Amino acid sequence: MSSSVVGGLVGARIKRREDVRILTGAGRYIDDVHERNTLTCHFVRSTLPHARISGCDVAAAREMEGVVAVITGDEMAQFTNPINLGAPIPGLNSPSFTALATGTVRYVGEPVALVVASDRYVAEDAASLIEIDYDPLEPVVSTTQALADGAPQLFDEVPGNVIHSGEIAVGDIDAAFAEADHVVTDRLDQHRWTCAPMEGRGGVATYDRSTGVLTYEASTQTSHLMRLLVAGFINQPIHLMRVVTSDIGGSFGLKFSMYREDVALCAAAKHLGVSLKWVEDRNENLTAGGSARDETLTIDAAVKADGTLLGFRVNMVMNHGAYPVMPPAPVVTGIAGHMLPGPYRVPAYRFTSTAACTNKASYISLRGPWAVETLVRERMMDLIAKRVGISPVEVRQRNLIPVTEQPTMSGAGFTLDGVTAAETFARLTEMIDLDEIRAQQEKARAEGRLVGFGVGTFYEPAPGTPEFWGLIGFPFSAEPVRLRVEPDGHITAFTTQIPHGQGHETTLAQVIADEMGVAFDDVRIVFGDTDATVFTMIGTGGSKAGMMATGGAMVAAREVRARVLDIAAHMLEASPSDLQIENSVISVKGAPGSAVPLADLAMGCYMAPGMMPQGVDLNLETTAHYDGENGGWGQGSHACWVEIDQETGKIAVTRYLVVEDCGKIINPAVVDGQVIGGIAMGLGGMLLEHAAYGEDGQYLAGTFMDYLMPSAPEVPEIEIEHLEYQAPTMVGSRGVGEGGTVLAPAALLNAVDDAFGQVEAGRITATPLTPTKVLQALGVIED
Amino acid sequence: MKPASFEYWTPTSVDEAVKVLSGLDDPGDAKVMAGGQSLMPLLNLRLSQPLHVVDLNGVDGMADIRREGDTLTVGAMCRQRAVERSAEVSAAAPLVVEALGNVGHPAIRNRGTVGGSIAHADPAAEMPAVALCLDAEMVAQGPAGGRVIPATEFFEGFLTTALTEEEVLTGIRFTADGPGSGSAFAEVARRHGDFAMAGVAVHVRLDGDTVAQARIAVSGVGLTPVRATGAESSLRGATAAEDAFAAAAAATSSALRPATDLHASGAYRTHVVGVLVRRALRTATDRARGNR
Amino acid sequence: MSDREITVTVNGTVHTALVEPRRTLADFLRHTLGLTATHLGCEHGVCGACTVLLDGEAVRSCLALAVHADGHEVTTVEGIAEPGQMHPVQTALWESGAFQCGFCTPGFVMTIYGMERDARAGRGCPRSRTEIREELSGNICRCSGYQAIVDGAEAALTAATGSASGSETRR
Ligand SMILES: Cc1cc2nc3c(=O)[nH]c(=O)nc-3n(C[C@H](O)[C@H](O)[C@H](O)COP(=O)(O)OP(=O)(O)OC[C@H]3O[C@@H](n4cnc5c(N)ncnc54)[C@H](O)[C@@H]3O)c2cc1C
Ligand code: FES
Ligand code: FES
Repeated sequence: MSSSVVGGLVGARIKRREDVRILTGAGRYIDDVHERNTLTCHFVRSTLPHARISGCDVAAAREMEGVVAVITGDEMAQFTNPINLGAPIPGLNSPSFTALATGTVRYVGEPVALVVASDRYVAEDAASLIEIDYDPLEPVVSTTQALADGAPQLFDEVPGNVIHSGEIAVGDIDAAFAEADHVVTDRLDQHRWTCAPMEGRGGVATYDRSTGVLTYEASTQTSHLMRLLVAGFINQPIHLMRVVTSDIGGSFGLKFSMYREDVALCAAAKHLGVSLKWVEDRNENLTAGGSARDETLTIDAAVKADGTLLGFRVNMVMNHGAYPVMPPAPVVTGIAGHMLPGPYRVPAYRFTSTAACTNKASYISLRGPWAVETLVRERMMDLIAKRVGISPVEVRQRNLIPVTEQPTMSGAGFTLDGVTAAETFARLTEMIDLDEIRAQQEKARAEGRLVGFGVGTFYEPAPGTPEFWGLIGFPFSAEPVRLRVEPDGHITAFTTQIPHGQGHETTLAQVIADEMGVAFDDVRIVFGDTDATVFTMIGTGGSKAGMMATGGAMVAAREVRARVLDIAAHMLEASPSDLQIENSVISVKGAPGSAVPLADLAMGCYMAPGMMPQGVDLNLETTAHYDGENGGWGQGSHACWVEIDQETGKIAVTRYLVVEDCGKIINPAVVDGQVIGGIAMGLGGMLLEHAAYGEDGQYLAGTFMDYLMPSAPEVPEIEIEHLEYQAPTMVGSRGVGEGGTVLAPAALLNAVDDAFGQVEAGRITATPLTPTKVLQALGVIED
Repeated sequence: MKPASFEYWTPTSVDEAVKVLSGLDDPGDAKVMAGGQSLMPLLNLRLSQPLHVVDLNGVDGMADIRREGDTLTVGAMCRQRAVERSAEVSAAAPLVVEALGNVGHPAIRNRGTVGGSIAHADPAAEMPAVALCLDAEMVAQGPAGGRVIPATEFFEGFLTTALTEEEVLTGIRFTADGPGSGSAFAEVARRHGDFAMAGVAVHVRLDGDTVAQARIAVSGVGLTPVRATGAESSLRGATAAEDAFAAAAAATSSALRPATDLHASGAYRTHVVGVLVRRALRTATDRARGNR
Repeated sequence: MSDREITVTVNGTVHTALVEPRRTLADFLRHTLGLTATHLGCEHGVCGACTVLLDGEAVRSCLALAVHADGHEVTTVEGIAEPGQMHPVQTALWESGAFQCGFCTPGFVMTIYGMERDARAGRGCPRSRTEIREELSGNICRCSGYQAIVDGAEAALTAATGSASGSETRR
């Protein structure tokens, strides 16, 4: 929309500002960055899952025309420090490793050497001349293998291959099971799948010999964290390190961590005194970029005859891959463990977890990294319903905690307040007619068709509460925003969020424009550049922005607005409380003739402070922090309809309904986009995608011919209903980015189980839901 | 993910292309490039690193569609999209058009060629199965001149055909459908446009309600597309109805031992081929009845 | 090995350049000509991010060589509207809030632009949302879940078919 739009921006379907450059092809993604004389890097990667490096011959590659340098692991280790991404979490065994492999390789795709050349074609030519000799070691692929007695040890520092084991215990779990009328058990082997943003990782590292400054333009969600970590590992003083981000072609968690490739690239740029670019290609991204999920859970539920929950006993084993990334494994298992009881009354709970390291690429975050808890719990709710003979709707209604009963304790022992999962579920049940659905299913069956229906509900930390994050051992840090009224009255605001699709340049401008009484186009949001933005550890992630960045923008805008009103009050001889700012003009309410344009006031403050009112603060720039108050939660309920072709095993999602509550909606188009995109990802993850390894540890899905992401025909039309529960906080909004991906797998699997149940078929406990597995469950083909 | 270097040749005639190939020290070091939609991914991934690429895109006269009497000849360099839209092909060999709709996506078919698809001989691809089903003839030219290779002898192994390293496929000949004939293509893929887990091409000729002739080819179940000869003979003389279709499906499946991969198990493929045979036979016989 | 001189018309401008035969059309556009709107999401033909028009037909620029464009015309996102302006297809996608990170976007814009041109020329185009989804199946978007892209495409195609007469539905 144009600059004529003033006021009432928050809540409006404003067209995104970033779309202008995105749609016209003017975006600046990492491969679009062309520094002067930039050289290209290419990593030579391990072809074996587990081996000793016994030789590395790079002579022929070094001699090739166009090759500037070839750096081996041992050479790189001379000018980098060992990398350790551990955190002060009790019991965490986080191994150290080098930027390029030295001695041992531990997954297919591990970087072994770095080629620097004039362009990518030449770099790949040179890489093909490098000969690496390996002495194969026994690969450890599954967690069962990793945790077996006498299993090969991946790292000396990780005894028994156990990266971390944890426990949560609340209430008297033994009593709960002793008292139970039913004990229902289930198991889930969730397969590995991955983020696969359309743009992979990458960066351009430029070392300026004259100033000693290393500038790293990178495709990352967390520029300050990247700067802090990389500087340490390459011995660069932090004040001489700058990380910049521009457009990011998606991330979904992949670009939260710093990676060893970042360290190698920056170290090489500094070592050689040049500008180096690395752009991960798709094969590298799928093979070496890490993948997610890959966890095994067992769950026992103690329930009363009427379906009331008495307790959950859960064990989770995470296949961690070889090398740690950020955040450390216990953060993921910790969130999963604490969220698992969900928005239900769960009087007793015990959760144990083990993260085991294996010869696979790293376990990385993927949109709601803890999501397996919702999948396991929501499937369990359906199993309970079946066991006690009530509907999937009823079993949830009996156990959900309405917002009116809060604050109360969650099943995992922290305060639940303002969680409206029950209310979203109530709205969902109003929108569907279960009897009608059952009647239709019967009719379909008579025609030989198999139609399933499933529901699910959940809540998520978006952003969560300080108490919650304290239990996880991860900071719940305040969110800073720097904001300046420029001399011409326009506004520049600096966020530490790093948008990669979420539209922060639009939504934060909406918020600030409304707060400041200026037009949308008069506000610019600056992000990414660590030289400009305020230091924080975490950029974008964890569905924080909706509440935290919005809050930061509000606090900063209100602070500067108060100063503007103070100054104007003197100029207009009125009380600040009688003033308003509309359309960039400060005026006395009810007396429009008595007014001063914001531009005049600002110009005065900067250019002629002596002529401005004295005794008031003339500084129109501030850095404000929003502490997040008591945080908040996102939640929703989904309903999914499927039709299963009993001859081909293909599952079609025929209808999908969402009721979500992220509080006050800043921009409905952005919220809907996040919800729909998240659901598409969750459905794709269950139906199509598989970051598969062979038993020999080789990676099997290195191209998009094998790693199958949903295309438009595979995604259903998604209907969305919004509730806007307003918590009594300054910011009425909460995050919404992850929930679709967290809950969709559960709603889908419940729908499939529902269909299977109608024909007495088995259940799929090891995902993904391939047509082969569907026909196996239906008894049509043998295992 | 960038191609390795190669010597690049741009012949303008078939003769010249053959001359380039046969003039190389080892023609096995060369790859012919048609639409590039299979070759380019292999080059980019460096799974194929030919020393020479002989590009057919500048060769004249390889992209014609000709009908002479009962014979339809499709030039090897005809883009899949053009064939799909050709009224001539649609009239003479509707199975080709139907199957092409399942090949990748429109932007792939805008460049991919019918000849490239057949010469590539991917066992999961549609065109080789269609060629086999329709008893098509491959017209090839080599240093010793031209020859015609029947489809049954053309597909020799995984991505391997009867073409020698010095030969170029110039066209594919189909016999035009006569009255009483009908065809159908059925497949299951994980996603829209993907290579199928299995596919079935069926061509039937009905005499009243009796099957006078049936040809069935199956893709995605072995190293080459295969003809379901057992099923074909079980159908001959049978009444075109569910019983016969089921028997044909069983006969097709029982002759197969497909492999397991990431996308489907061997047992799945065996089963689903039966399903597809039944579905395709239903459609093909319906079409044959409407084509008297 | 030995370079080739090629002459390519890109967005109406004639470019003559010396290229290695192995250089892809995508890399020629992006790195030789600096036209970085065309993105590379997979380099093996699946994602569609690199879609451009070659002589008016949508093709994957990662699966063509630069030398294939010799003597031909290429259209990229940079060439479908005046600088600073949007083509109606782009405006429709903007209004529908189609995209998020934007990496897939040039490929979708070019695919839909190709469909829209056909529609305007009365050559027929997909009409129903299901048909639009099928026609877009060669373009992968990881962010959006497609719904808003289909909204935008539907709006653009409806507007275009409204302005053409005698158009027909094509599968
Ligand atoms: C994303 C994607 C999806 C696809 N999906 C499908 C699908 O579902 N089904 C399907 O069948 N295909 C699919 N394809 C492949 C596509 O159909 C190819 O176009 C086709 O297989 C090869 O045709 P081409 O003209 O591109 O041949 P090229 O790629 O140029 O050549 C392929 C091979 O055939 C040889 N060759 C080509 N022409 C000749 C000739 N005239 N004489 C001798 N040798 C020759 C080449 O040397 C090469 O080895 C897909 C491709 C992509 C990228
Ligand atoms: S980059 Fe060309 S199709 Fe993906
Ligand atoms: S908008 Fe991010 S991939 Fe489509």
